[in-house]
Amino acid sequence: MTPLFPRWSNNAFRVVLGLLVLVPTALVTLGMLWVRSPFRTEQNQSVVQPVQFDHRHHVEDVGIDCRYCHQTVEKGASAGIPPASLCMNCHSQVWNKSDKLEPVRAAYFSDTPIPWNRVHRLPDFVYFNHSIHIAKGVGCEVCHGRVDEMPEMAQAEPLTMEFCLDCHRDPNPKLRPKDQITSMAWQAPEDPRLYGDKLAAEYNVHARTSCTTCHR
Amino acid sequence: MPSLKIWGQDEALGASAPKAEGGAEAASASVAAPSEETLARGWFRSLEEYQGDRGLGARVDVQPVVPGEPIPDSLSRRSFMQLLGGGLGVAGLQACFKPPPGEILPYGKQPANLLPGEPQHYATGLEIDGIVSPLLVTCFDGRPIKVEGNPEHPENLGSTGVFEQAVLEQLYDPTRVQSVTEQGQIRSDESFRAELSKALKQQEATQGAGLRVLVTPTTSPLLAKRRAQVLQRFPKAKLVEYAPLELGFEAGTQLAFGRRLTPSYSLDKADVVVALDADFLWTVPYGQRAAREFAARRVPQGARPMNRLYAAEANLSITGMMADHRLRARSSEIGSVALGVLHAVTAQRPLAGLSVPAVDLGSHARFVTAMANDLLKAGGKSLVLVGPRQPAEVQAVGHLINLALGNLGETVSFRPVANQLETERSALAGAAAGAPTADATQGLRELVQDIDQKKVELLVVAAPDPVHSCPSDLNLGGKLGAVAFSAYLAPYHDETAKQAKWIIPAAHAFEHWGDGIAADGSHLVFQPLLAPLFGGRSEAELLGLLAHDATPPHELIYGAWHQHIAPDQKEFDGVWGELVRRGFVGTETQASNPSAPGDSASGALAKAAQRKGASEGLELNLYQSYQVHDGRYARNGWLLELPDPVTKLTWTNAALVSPKTAEKLALETGDIVELTLRNRTIRLPAYVLPGHADGAVSVALGFGQRSPLPRSDYPSILPTFAVNAADVTDEDIAGADAYALRSSAAPWFDDGLKLVKTSDHRKLALSQELWSMEGRELAIEVPASALGTRQELAGEKATALEQPSYYNPVEYRGFKWAMAIDLARCTGCSACVVACQSENNTPIVGEEQVKRGREMHWLRLDRYFTGDSLDDPGAITQPVACEHCENAPCEYVCPVNATVHSDEGLNEMVYNRCVGTRYCSNNCPYHVRRFNYLNYSYGNKSETEKMIFNPDVTVRSRGVMEKCTYCVQRIERGRISARVQGRELKDGDIKTACQTACPTQAITFGTLSDPQSAISKLREDPRSYALLKELNTRPRTTHLVRIKNKNPELA
Repeated sequence: MTPLFPRWSNNAFRVVLGLLVLVPTALVTLGMLWVRSPFRTEQNQSVVQPVQFDHRHHVEDVGIDCRYCHQTVEKGASAGIPPASLCMNCHSQVWNKSDKLEPVRAAYFSDTPIPWNRVHRLPDFVYFNHSIHIAKGVGCEVCHGRVDEMPEMAQAEPLTMEFCLDCHRDPNPKLRPKDQITSMAWQAPEDPRLYGDKLAAEYNVHARTSCTTCHR
Repeated sequence: MPSLKIWGQDEALGASAPKAEGGAEAASASVAAPSEETLARGWFRSLEEYQGDRGLGARVDVQPVVPGEPIPDSLSRRSFMQLLGGGLGVAGLQACFKPPPGEILPYGKQPANLLPGEPQHYATGLEIDGIVSPLLVTCFDGRPIKVEGNPEHPENLGSTGVFEQAVLEQLYDPTRVQSVTEQGQIRSDESFRAELSKALKQQEATQGAGLRVLVTPTTSPLLAKRRAQVLQRFPKAKLVEYAPLELGFEAGTQLAFGRRLTPSYSLDKADVVVALDADFLWTVPYGQRAAREFAARRVPQGARPMNRLYAAEANLSITGMMADHRLRARSSEIGSVALGVLHAVTAQRPLAGLSVPAVDLGSHARFVTAMANDLLKAGGKSLVLVGPRQPAEVQAVGHLINLALGNLGETVSFRPVANQLETERSALAGAAAGAPTADATQGLRELVQDIDQKKVELLVVAAPDPVHSCPSDLNLGGKLGAVAFSAYLAPYHDETAKQAKWIIPAAHAFEHWGDGIAADGSHLVFQPLLAPLFGGRSEAELLGLLAHDATPPHELIYGAWHQHIAPDQKEFDGVWGELVRRGFVGTETQASNPSAPGDSASGALAKAAQRKGASEGLELNLYQSYQVHDGRYARNGWLLELPDPVTKLTWTNAALVSPKTAEKLALETGDIVELTLRNRTIRLPAYVLPGHADGAVSVALGFGQRSPLPRSDYPSILPTFAVNAADVTDEDIAGADAYALRSSAAPWFDDGLKLVKTSDHRKLALSQELWSMEGRELAIEVPASALGTRQELAGEKATALEQPSYYNPVEYRGFKWAMAIDLARCTGCSACVVACQSENNTPIVGEEQVKRGREMHWLRLDRYFTGDSLDDPGAITQPVACEHCENAPCEYVCPVNATVHSDEGLNEMVYNRCVGTRYCSNNCPYHVRRFNYLNYSYGNKSETEKMIFNPDVTVRSRGVMEKCTYCVQRIERGRISARVQGRELKDGDIKTACQTACPTQAITFGTLSDPQSAISKLREDPRSYALLKELNTRPRTTHLVRIKNKNPELA
């Protein structure tokens, strides 16, 4: 009786079988890698803004503290983007005729918002609260990076859930004294873990990892 | 009718098993065979449905499915599978794409002290039919999103009723009137004002003889001042104060004592309370304090015994459900019941100069005698309440009983009616002007007569929809069109708006300044929470136009309070600021209790004694709806979908009849009937209600208006169907308009009703079809004599909380959140349900979806009938929400771990992980999980409808399970703010929405980690038990048994 299948079909079958295992695995793996990559998380990608605000100049050169502009960071969930009126505190006198600041003046005098483009964007189902992090000794730099070296704001960290959980599961090495929260180049005087353990005890740090801490 | 035996507690609590009672009993008690339709369809929603025609359950009309043929009116199986496959493929890709770029929009000039994104709380208030509720409203970024009571005010101590919670929904309703129109054409505000001033100038010539102003009675001094100003400018004009539901007690006190007085009750002092057609546990018109004080006595505390409640009524109310003893009597018989009590009481404690006629009580005699004896024993610690539905002479009988028993000054105090209008008029005119406002319907009657006689040239209406609620014999609607210039301050495009010439958008209560006087005499200021969204105007502003006074209302209030509080002080701003922040200022009120009956008391007794001859028709019993009140909330989706506390009906009213009446008329629940009275007919479904009086039909007022949601079946596969107010047509009417049967002569109950059963049948959207507990210990109620230790209380079976478990024991080191719900205090008012919906962005789903059992309320109130008798059952209400079981059956079945247990004992629901398997809901024995079958919250929502969402809580999309979270957003907010401020969390710092809203404080929430907390103490209370404890779920929510204090004479 002649065989039904030609001989080459044996190999064909083995190849297909292999592909059937490899292709979905590859797709899923690549997918999972892609989602964590800067392509998706937008890490280190500067965002163009309607007003060319230079953090490096304002923080490093002028020496303004983070909280002067981001005023609600210690009191509420959102750190707060400053209103145009705050910019005008200085820029009604400094560079007050500059073309680059025209949108700011226009926003102030017409009492309309400057449409800043979001850089750090968490999904809508994540409820992040700045004030508790500040209160427990998490510095601005930890999540936002060296803002004093950014001419254009970029997201320094991936801000994936993995990033948040890594710290929440072990916050102590990332802690710093509360008066150094906004400091940009602070280093722990000793081993960060040892120092952090002391701070955690002092500040009563209990980083929660239950789901409803962030997902409500 | 099959002999239906409702399983009572006696059977359940380990007494002799029902099987022992004989074969016949067992046969009727066992589950009957499923009906044809159920077998054909294959699924059923309740036991009643399963058995089809059980005599009292709803008969389901569903087309049977024939195998092989496509399912009628629905997607075919093949297309469904195709869509499913395609959908799955697309859905998985969502995570891969980047989110759309977002913008942050700060202020241009930020107001000082503003924390964007953080809640702010403003004190304000709301007045409904003379009941003023002090409120505290939570606002985010200028949007009010949650209403609470003002915790500093003794009237409600932070709680609210149902309506205060739900009015928020109407604030953002896009179907509100948005522009000034003249006979259908949109006009500008200037043109309205120009036309109005022209018409007013004409009226000035005749001193306003042709001007009529139709308003609602109010306690507000601001509105009184404005109305007085109008009358000062036009002395011959007439101001008609009209409320569809006359819920005042002045007419009764006038007859009893010769003076118009307002009662205020101290129910905490009463050992025996008798409610004759008085639903005092409902917040309008009795207020929240009455319910709270009554409920506080519902549990024996130390030496102070528990109170006892008797109720006599025709329709089953929430007060009737709470009563220890209840008498079913037609509304027309309540008068003789009251007289019987007065006769028995004055036999022992006579009233000087008053002889009480004897009445033949028939079958009610035994009840009345026992009740009167109990009252006499309690003496000055009793209270008899006669509800506002009863005519003035019967109310007078009630007041006289209190007088005879010595209750005046103890459990009830009177004070003179504050006639604000007259005070303001005399202040303006310098002399007392005119008599107090007469009976309100009389005012409306005169108005209609004046319109007939063409005396009315200019009519301004600032009452909510008087055409709809006006008694049918007056026919205001037909006549309104004849008035030359009519202007209506319209909240909606309702029936009055159709008739009026000019329609002015009305500002919502939260959009304008106002004031009011609460029941305890304190003066409240209502500050607005946002500027009118749709250009609305308040009544004060409209009357200001009439009075030609452009002073802004808030300046008037400021001036009045300056006068009232600190007339000598020049600098009032600081005091004013503090007053507005707090919301009220207390005032001492002088009680003025009569000591003897008035002159007209005997006449009132004689009138009350006139018994109507037995009529051949049924008695029509109209009552204020628990959902829409008098109809002003008929467009409020939250309220329409809120199940009625007694019938569990949503989206409609019904003709309620007793089982005996239903049997006589061969009625089943859902049969469409025609009710005819005085040549007017309405069509509505019937509903068989155990506990209803025989020979009477009850219908709730306020329905029969255009419903805000479409009633036709949705295309059930499309993901974004619009549940949108804009898609409403005129066919979408919710319920039947009972005002059509109402005549001004007999506004509440009337004889001679004819009921004709039609051949139509309609499935009702009931949120609960089950009536009995079927032998399970769900809502436990014990007699007061059985109170003892936990073991004695209901046997070990019900109250022991711990059983051996094969799970590893979990050690909770931090907070241990738990909740206790006291069934002894729960009246079933459903304020907690609306509060939860408001706080947690729970959607409404519409009538069709409710019929499928898809209502989304996280917290539901189960209502069970108890006892042996179908005619005279007991009834008990039980709030059930997620129990947050320590051994939660829902957690271990989730394939994607979307529901997990927190380290503090919360059963957490993570919406973003949920894929919609619904296994958790399947496994939950309490059925507290709700699934978003469709996109209830999304869809074509208008911009203002989106503003109502609480930003602290995720808005759930289709395909996601949700349930009570113990208000985890409040827990987190409370915890974060305490930790940021470096303080400890105290018991009571974190309150769930349901806990805050409950007027009787039946819900307690807190952490078990603190042995001094209220919840820890309640856990140890012998009355505490876990629902379905035998399943070993170890719920964190426990209930406390209800206690019945029965009179041994009547038991």
